[in-house]
Amino acid sequence: MQTRPLMTLQVRVAPSHDVGAVPHGTRRVAPIAGGRFDGPRLRGVVVAGPSADWLLLRTDGVLELDLRATLQTDDGALIAMRSFGLRHGPADVMAALARGDAVDPARYYFRTTIRFETSHPSYAFLNRLVAVASGDRRAEGPIYTIDEVL
Amino acid sequence: MTSRPLLLLRLATAPIQEIGPTPHGTLSIFPIVGGTFDGERLRGKVLPGGGDWVTRRPDGVFELDLRATLETDDGALVYLTFSGVRDDASHYFRTLPRFETAAPKYDFLNRLLAVGLGEIRPDGPVHVFEELL
Repeated sequence: MQTRPLMTLQVRVAPSHDVGAVPHGTRRVAPIAGGRFDGPRLRGVVVAGPSADWLLLRTDGVLELDLRATLQTDDGALIAMRSFGLRHGPADVMAALARGDAVDPARYYFRTTIRFETSHPSYAFLNRLVAVASGDRRAEGPIYTIDEVL
Repeated sequence: MTSRPLLLLRLATAPIQEIGPTPHGTLSIFPIVGGTFDGERLRGKVLPGGGDWVTRRPDGVFELDLRATLETDDGALVYLTFSGVRDDASHYFRTLPRFETAAPKYDFLNRLLAVGLGEIRPDGPVHVFEELL
């Protein structure tokens, strides 16, 4: 598989809403308060409001991340982003993450797959690709290194 | 992003069900009647009963939405879904597979993300899946 860098996305999360035990696991909604993205072909800010990450801690201990975010480029285009991810790792590592400790992202699995939608002609290439990301979970919100799948 | 080979999937499809123009594009359904998959960690056959819901968007790109059941050579069932993009103008055909299984031996499939490189061959579509490491 060949990839090339698309952007780094840094997300700021607001306090989460703990929905609690649901039929598929434990649901938590993490609203996105803002953020930034930066890459060779696009850069800008994350629009708060509808952006959030719908987290589901499955009964097998794997966390599913179902993120929707609206990105606004520095030249005014809006991009709708949807990402599906998985996060899991050894119990002590996951406990450290839950406490908000700084943890080397190599110690756990945090990967997502991403699709984009836009109506802006300059960014129409985003409508025609799939992307993958490595996540680095920080206390203030995750940092995603996003690569285009070539 | 690093990856490693997961499997090669060959699908056998029945004649297309042409739903036609819908609000999202032109929808064609490819019923899956069989196939095989082969990789270092799992191999077996594709069971009849799945399908690929393919929508041709107004910009000419095909959106794929596949569901299939895989049966490993040792009898485990694996539920496979993928969404994907096929852009014939740029020869881009990539999918985002996900797996679900109850078989402990194949539990690793529940915990990984993958990318598929697709190709249309005369005898049917072929997908090479790579696990995201």
